Amino acid sequence: MTGDVFHPEQLSRCISCGFCLPACPTYAMTGDEASSPRGRITLMRALQDGTLPADDDTLAEQSSFCLGCRACEPVCPAGVEYGSLLEQWRVHQWRGRRRPLLARALMLVAERRTLLRLLGLLRRAARGVTAATAAPRDHPTRPPAERPAGPVPPAARAVPVAGEATQLMLGCFERVLFPVVSRAAQALDPRLAAPTAQGCCGALHAHNGDLAGGERMAHRLGAELPGTIVTTSGGCAAHLAAVLGRDRVRELSQWLADRAPEGEVLLGGRRARVALQDSCHLRNGLGVFVEPRALLRRVADHVELPSAAACCGAAGTYSLLRPRESRRIIDAKIDEIEAAGVDYVVAVNPGCLRQLRTGLRRRRSTVRAVHLAELLAEATPPADR
Amino acid sequence: MALSATLLAELRGIVGATHVHDAAGDLVVYARDATPLFRHEPDAVVFPADTAEVAAVLALATRHAVPVVPRGAGSNLCAATVPLRGGIVLVLTRLNRILEVAPDELLAVAQPGVTSAALAEAAAARGLLWAPDPGSRTVATVGGTIATCAGGLRGLKYGVTRNYVLGLEAVLPTGEVIRTGGRLWKDVAGYDLTRLLTGSEGTLAVLTEATVALLPAPASSNTGVAYFPTLADAGHAVAAVIRAGVVPATLEFLDRACIDAVEDFAHLGLRADAGALLLFGDDGPPEAVATNLERISAACVDAGAIEVTTAREVAQAEALLAARRCALPALSRRGGVTILEDATVPRPRIAEMVDRIEAIAERHGVAIATFGHAGDGNLHPTCVLGSAADRAAVARAEAAFADIFAAALDLGGTITGEHGVGAAKLPFLAARLGDDQLALLRRIKTAFDPAGILNPGKLGS
Repeated sequence: MTGDVFHPEQLSRCISCGFCLPACPTYAMTGDEASSPRGRITLMRALQDGTLPADDDTLAEQSSFCLGCRACEPVCPAGVEYGSLLEQWRVHQWRGRRRPLLARALMLVAERRTLLRLLGLLRRAARGVTAATAAPRDHPTRPPAERPAGPVPPAARAVPVAGEATQLMLGCFERVLFPVVSRAAQALDPRLAAPTAQGCCGALHAHNGDLAGGERMAHRLGAELPGTIVTTSGGCAAHLAAVLGRDRVRELSQWLADRAPEGEVLLGGRRARVALQDSCHLRNGLGVFVEPRALLRRVADHVELPSAAACCGAAGTYSLLRPRESRRIIDAKIDEIEAAGVDYVVAVNPGCLRQLRTGLRRRRSTVRAVHLAELLAEATPPADR
Repeated sequence: MALSATLLAELRGIVGATHVHDAAGDLVVYARDATPLFRHEPDAVVFPADTAEVAAVLALATRHAVPVVPRGAGSNLCAATVPLRGGIVLVLTRLNRILEVAPDELLAVAQPGVTSAALAEAAAARGLLWAPDPGSRTVATVGGTIATCAGGLRGLKYGVTRNYVLGLEAVLPTGEVIRTGGRLWKDVAGYDLTRLLTGSEGTLAVLTEATVALLPAPASSNTGVAYFPTLADAGHAVAAVIRAGVVPATLEFLDRACIDAVEDFAHLGLRADAGALLLFGDDGPPEAVATNLERISAACVDAGAIEVTTAREVAQAEALLAARRCALPALSRRGGVTILEDATVPRPRIAEMVDRIEAIAERHGVAIATFGHAGDGNLHPTCVLGSAADRAAVARAEAAFADIFAAALDLGGTITGEHGVGAAKLPFLAARLGDDQLALLRRIKTAFDPAGILNPGKLGS
């Protein structure tokens, strides 16, 4: 009997109607109930009531095979909080030494800023850029005072932030892998402060079996960044909102909804054709998917991919822990992107951005994967044309 | 009864090692379907890829007298796919291709693991309609839809699944593959085995391919809502609508408790002060739809409706229908266990049946919410309990449902309109069919399945 793994009320809410089956990417892969949300909840119940032993193989496999994309949540009429149940499940499955080594390593890096910086240097070195030449361009965190005092775009001026501080979250891995994203965000709204002294939000920890650590880190980040926190990562937004409350957190597309400057992304004189890849937790956890589409429609022609709302297979650490399944998912999506005839595919989460770039590169595609902030920052204002 | 190592090896030889699952966790997962309270673990779960593999598995099972329970998505509500006697659960989700949509012949050919919604989508892409429309259409497979003869929200005008099955490929428990019917609208050669297999709940043969009839897609559709003081008033309105000479595509009702549950989930702005609502809809040429909706509205007003409105845009109409489809899971938010039934009465007796359900609920001290396909006389009285562990409450609910079945039979109705008998309603089947007919069912079952391996403990067992 291991009756304390799950919150009993959350676990009892599922009535096994099965409405979640068609929404689940892993059920689509296998057609096997065990890899559907309903089947996984049956497994969780068997763990909770002792029907299955705590070290059962199917429990271990299915808790890891699940992408954690939460696509089952919006289609669940019974309101099952599957994402939260999965976090609790992984606390049990991935406790201590059972946590996959790679996940442990990533969590360690995210916790320690020196390691992150080292990773950044290594990455630049690998690309043949020395730290010295890269520093002025790649330093994502110039304090607001040092920013060039250019004219503030009219749209941004129109909405005052009534004395409340608004801080841009840089993201633990994003600031190293894609520093250009936060720079673009600051170019779009120069009043976003981005202090360097900020840690990881802990989403990585919460999703990889360290729920308490994930919550602790979110609270610490909340203290480091008082007021409204703006993030360019859908996954971080959902985790922070779950811990700190929705009113403290704005994902970039929410924040820019009525602040983005006018303009157009032009390629050889025509408007760019752009597809969007939703961030699973942004869409399924926070219900935000209209906002990024509305923004990119302002600057480009939007093409809706058939699977835009479905997971790209990045799924946090999933692409590293389960490369085979992850690749199956992204390969199918790249087929769609190629067929859509677009110039760009836009992500609103760093993990998705990395996954899309890897998938496109492997296929030698000419389509470019960019973050929404980069696309918007590329837009040419009407006056310049 | 665990399967022998030899038998498991033979199964792996047929479908491939990765398509036979027998770990403890796999068996837990396949011990249930969407029906509450019914659980029994199989000994193995087998995923065949095609008809030949299904035939080989069945022949093997017959030889060893091992039970086989065919399963699609497991979304049925009568415990039809719970393996009561263990054995093999035969999952048909790998047979998931739409083989053909033929607009010239108004038909489609599909494998059993295709979802009903996917078939409807493929038909719609060619301007055609797959009419069966169960509430679980996005989940339910074509095989399961046929095996349970599912109904749905369009039953009044379009009938149920049996009206659309032209032919079947099926594997007998002894391993022979038969093809019944076909691409013909007229074919009286032999007993109508297509109809016999439709609704046979996996007790006679395993369906491996279906040829189904499609209709030209209606040019337009619209939906409206009428609110009434009580559910019985809505029941009277249904009779009035039919009397007015209109056969709407949709005529659904929900009582107060269901309206609240759906509103909590879907936020449609439904009225909070009415005792019942009637959701009505029709499809066809725009002028005909408009005229019919006006006539339905007028009949509702005459029957005492508090308010009648029609949807202004397609999205709104779709939202209303979608909300109705999720009435059951939405209700389940109210407690730990949701038991739903499927009693059906002749249409003019609906108001009477509604009154009886209310009296029965009161007598047994249970809360019963009712929604259903009012136009078909098909009611879904639903009981939400705090927890399955509360044996006394479960017993009270079961006693209430036994009375509800008796009341339905008394009014000339039946114990199940569209969900099926399965394990859940087998105890009440004799009351509906009588001993002679039940004995005939058993002889039919034996003719198909001499070893009694297919879905034992269900129909004809």
